[in-house]
Amino acid sequence: MTSTTSVPIASDRPGLAAWGQLILHELRMVVRDTGGLVIPLGLPTLLMVMSGLAGGTERIPELGGVSAMNAFVIPSTLTMMVALIGIVNMPSFLASYRTTGVLRRLAVTPAAPSMVLVAQVVVSLIQTIVGTALALVIGASALGVVAPGNLAGTALAMVLTVAAMYALGMLIAAVAPTANSSVAIGLVTFFATMALGGGLGGRDNLPGVLATIGEYVPYGSAVEALSAGWQGNAPNLAHLAALAICTVLASGIAAKVFRWE
Amino acid sequence: MPVISVENLRKRYGEHVAVDGVSFAVEKGEILGILGRNGAGKTTTVECLAGLRRPDSGQVRVMGLDPWRDRVKVRQVLGSQLQEGALPGKVRVGEAVKLYRSFYRTGADPDRLLADLGLHDKRRAFYDDLSGGQQQRLSIALALVGRPRIAILDELTTGLDPAARRETWQLIDRIRRGGVTIVLVTHVMEEAERLCDRIAVLDRGQIVALDTPEGLIARAQGEQEVRVRTQGAVDQAALNGLPEVTGLRIDGEHVVIRGRGNLLHTVTRALLSQDVVVTDARVRQVTLDDAFLTLTGRSLDEAPGGHFPGDPYEDSRTDLEASR
Repeated sequence: MTSTTSVPIASDRPGLAAWGQLILHELRMVVRDTGGLVIPLGLPTLLMVMSGLAGGTERIPELGGVSAMNAFVIPSTLTMMVALIGIVNMPSFLASYRTTGVLRRLAVTPAAPSMVLVAQVVVSLIQTIVGTALALVIGASALGVVAPGNLAGTALAMVLTVAAMYALGMLIAAVAPTANSSVAIGLVTFFATMALGGGLGGRDNLPGVLATIGEYVPYGSAVEALSAGWQGNAPNLAHLAALAICTVLASGIAAKVFRWE
Repeated sequence: MPVISVENLRKRYGEHVAVDGVSFAVEKGEILGILGRNGAGKTTTVECLAGLRRPDSGQVRVMGLDPWRDRVKVRQVLGSQLQEGALPGKVRVGEAVKLYRSFYRTGADPDRLLADLGLHDKRRAFYDDLSGGQQQRLSIALALVGRPRIAILDELTTGLDPAARRETWQLIDRIRRGGVTIVLVTHVMEEAERLCDRIAVLDRGQIVALDTPEGLIARAQGEQEVRVRTQGAVDQAALNGLPEVTGLRIDGEHVVIRGRGNLLHTVTRALLSQDVVVTDARVRQVTLDDAFLTLTGRSLDEAPGGHFPGDPYEDSRTDLEASR
């Protein structure tokens, strides 16, 4: 806009009550979508329990006595959870809001359609927190999971993991023409980043170049950074940087190309 | 001072000129109809009113505000029910109304609004489980929940069965009695005729007429038609020579005569004097459809043979055989 833009007085925009209602609304949508609620939390937790029962609880002397459960399984479980919620679940809501006209309906009210995006992100964060808590409680009570050795490093790695996965999800929501195609694109992206990142049987089995790439795709960097933190080390800066770069690039492109109708 | 004023509004999408110099004003408490075929520029016009699109040129004012620049302010006083706007399938009716109520500074009581719209016993139902008419009424409820002074209703009875359509019309009547100014976009002639104080007829992005329904019909009075089937050849030249007759054409087995005055009487008398036996004759009442046809050169209905939408002859069928 080139002309003078009048700044609306604060009360013209919806206030806190509207934000509360919108977040409550998105929460209902996520909870009422049973598959989208259960799978991103249930599937990684189930895999975690199976790994734990298969001997993951033994302490590994090479890792200073940290069990595989703490060193690898929990980092992989949390990464998978965040990736499923961020890359597959969240964009399917946003893409369907565009195709069914939910965003258009909102656009003629004092609320901006972008508010529903923010609300959906908030709810996805709540879902991630609940999932993390679920995995950690089960892990701690039955599978010998302990607190991360480097709490601050692990927390930073987790925050960057969430940011990178959600930014990828926003990019998918921005370009997917329909809700179905967003699920398809999301699943392909999810499996690609998981396979490269070592989620399907270890990066060591991949050819050299792919293994290197896999270390820096969001899934690989996330597992590496969380794993380092849980073992009490500082996460490798390169892994944190890879997550941060993914966040900036994906969210930047998403903001540029997001189609509102 | 008009509540809405539009001056020389233009909007193009690439090469396609959607709105080409439209001007009109809407007074407080009025229902203005915007009537036209698909693609005539109706929706683009109201999208500019709602601040969804930025006009290429021209001036739009809603309550004195520019709906693009001051869109947040405008939307506090203007409620819109546009086409292709929906809700998530798993939201309950009551929840949706409460959510939309929270966007506005002041507004209606959600429960009372739902009761007014006959949706009170549906307030726990999911959006997906509503009938088309109920979804449409909910959509209207969401447009009204902020107690707007102006409501834009775009094609609100499209896809509704006749009963739901009539219910919706009664609802619009009630909303108007509440003092709300309404811009009603429609391509349903009956709807425009029944509800609107004035109608802007839009064709190819331009307003070709802006008048009361009665005024528009009056413009088409000259376009009355009598459609006859005869045994024996009609002397077309003689019919064409009659002062009341303005045009004549052959449509299959029928002769269609256009003209003014008491056309049926004129035509039957002339045919009798030609000793032509009339087996069937129908007069078509002048309707808003005719007005539309006269103004735009095309019928509002895009169906083939749309020159005679529905069967307007039905009511005025005259048994000439018996009268001979």
